[in-house]
Amino acid sequence: MKFISLIFLFVSLAFAQESDIANLAKSLKLSAGTKAIVQWERVFKSKRKMKRYKIDTLSEYHRVNLKEYLINHAIDSDQPTIAGV
Amino acid sequence: MKTFIILTLLLTISLNAQNNTKQLSDNELREELIKLKNEVASLKSTQIENNEAIEELYDSEDRIEANSFKDKIEFSLGFKTYIDNFTKKYANGEVVKSNNIWSNKLMLNMKADISENMNFYGRLSMYKYWGSSNIHPYTYYDNMQGRAPSNSSLYVERAYINWFFNKNSSLPLALTIGRQPSSDGPSNQFKDNTTRKGTYSALLYDGAADGIVFTANLSKLITLPKSFLRVGYSKGYGYSETSSNVGNAFIGASNNDIKDTNVAGVFFDTTVPTIKNSLIQLSYSRMFDIVANPLDYNTSVNKNIGTLDLYGAMIECSNFKESDLDFFVQFGYSKAHPNAQNYGIYGGLLSANGDTSTKSGYSTWVGTRYGFGKKEHYKIGLEYNYGSKNWINLTQGSFDIYNKLSSRGNAYETYFMYVINRYSNLRLGYVYIDYNYSGSGWFVGESKKISSDMPYSGNNLKELQSIYLKMNINF
Repeated sequence: MKFISLIFLFVSLAFAQESDIANLAKSLKLSAGTKAIVQWERVFKSKRKMKRYKIDTLSEYHRVNLKEYLINHAIDSDQPTIAGV
Repeated sequence: MKTFIILTLLLTISLNAQNNTKQLSDNELREELIKLKNEVASLKSTQIENNEAIEELYDSEDRIEANSFKDKIEFSLGFKTYIDNFTKKYANGEVVKSNNIWSNKLMLNMKADISENMNFYGRLSMYKYWGSSNIHPYTYYDNMQGRAPSNSSLYVERAYINWFFNKNSSLPLALTIGRQPSSDGPSNQFKDNTTRKGTYSALLYDGAADGIVFTANLSKLITLPKSFLRVGYSKGYGYSETSSNVGNAFIGASNNDIKDTNVAGVFFDTTVPTIKNSLIQLSYSRMFDIVANPLDYNTSVNKNIGTLDLYGAMIECSNFKESDLDFFVQFGYSKAHPNAQNYGIYGGLLSANGDTSTKSGYSTWVGTRYGFGKKEHYKIGLEYNYGSKNWINLTQGSFDIYNKLSSRGNAYETYFMYVINRYSNLRLGYVYIDYNYSGSGWFVGESKKISSDMPYSGNNLKELQSIYLKMNINF
C-alpha cells in the first residue's frame, strides 16, 4: 500500500513539473505555436512586449522556464516525429 | 471609443463650467467651448486615420494568412556531411584501410496540416558518396531506400498521414498510414543532437517501412504523461514478378512459392513519472514468412525461411534532473524459428541446412552524453552495444553505414560534439567493433565463431574501426 501511495505521489509531482509551465503559458494567453523562435526571443528582450503579455510580473525562475517552454514549442522548433502524435 | 472621448470632454466642460461659472464671462466660456470643439474634431480626424491604418493592417494580415494557406506543404532541411576513415581487419588477419570517404545526405522534410484532425509528414532523401553516383545494390531493398549511400536520386524515406479521432476525449486515437517514421528512432537523437525522430527503438528497428499503425493515447486514462499504446502492421516484403504483369500492376499477391513477409507488432510508450524528458518503451513484434533474399525472383532458390519474434525494452532520459546529462539503456531479444527451407547453399534462417531448432539471441545498448560549456556548446558521448551469437534485428536500413547495432560482438563509440548553433553541430568520433560471430545483420545462414581457421575467413570481418567527422544540420 505504501508503495502504491509513493507511486501516486511521484505521479502527481511529475504532473506538476510537466504541466506547470504549460498552464502558466495558458493563463497568460500565450500559445507557443503562434510565434517562431526568433519572435519569442524578441518578446523576452522587449520590456514593452513583456509588459503587454504580463511576463514582467513573473519571477525570474518562471520567466526563464516560460521562455524555454515557448521556444521549445515555437512553430519552427525542432519537434519530435512519432507515429500518431 | 469616440463616444467615450466625447462624454469625457463634455463632463470636463461641465465640471469646469460649474467651477468657473463665477469667474469666467460668457465670451470666455464661448472661446473655451470652441477650443474644445476643435480638439474633438482633431481627435475625430486622428481616430479616422487610425481606423484606416488598422484596416490596412487587417488587409495585410489577410494577405499573410492567405499566403500561409497557399503554402500547403512546409519544408524543413536536414543536411549531413561525413568523412569516414575505416580500418577493417578480416578473420584471416588481413587489414584493409579505406580512408577519406566523404558522403552527403540531404533530407527534405515535409509537413502539411490537412485539417484539424489530419496531417501529413514526408521526407525525401539523397544519400551519396562524394564523386560517385553508382547505384548501390542495397538501394533496391525497400527498407534501405534513401538510407544507404547510392546515387544522387531522391528517395521517399517517409510519407504518411496521421488521422486523429476523439482528439479532445479521454482516449484520443490516431491512425498512421503510409511510409512510416520507423527510422532514426530513440536513442539516436542524442548523437544527432535533435529531438526524437522516429517511433521505435533503434536497437530493434531502423529503416523505411510501409504500414499502418493504430495509436491510443492513454495519458489521461492511466495518469501517466505521454503514454501511448500502438499496434502496427507492416509489409516487410511484397512479392512482385514482372512476368505476371496485369497492366502496370505486378505487385501484390503472394504466389505459391513465396509468400509476402508481413510484420505485426505492439508497442507501449510511457515516461518515468518523476523524471522529466524520459521515455520507456516496451515492444513485441513478429515477422512472418521471412524471405531469404527480397531481390531474388528465382522461386526455385528463393524461399520463405521462417518467422522471427523480436522483444524490446528501453529507457532513456535527456537532461536528467537538469544536470545536462543524458543516458539510455536498451535491451533486445530475438527468437528466430527456421522452417527447414534453405536459400541454396547459404542455409536457412540463422541456421544450417535442415536445422529447425529455435535460435535465440540478445543485445544490449547503453550510452550517455554530457553537455558542458556556455549554453552547452560542447557535448561528449559514449556508447556501447553487445550482440550475442544469434542476435538479429530489423536495422538493415540503419543510417549508420556499419549497422553497428546489429553487431554480434562488442561495439564501442565515443564522440565529441561542438554545437555551432541551435540548428547545426560538428561531431568528431571513433567507432570500434569487435565481431565475435559472423553474419551480423543477416537472416540467412548459421552464425559462426570468427577465427582465422573458419571457412571464408578472408570475407568475414573481425574488427572494424572508423574515425569520423560529421556535420549535421537540421533547420
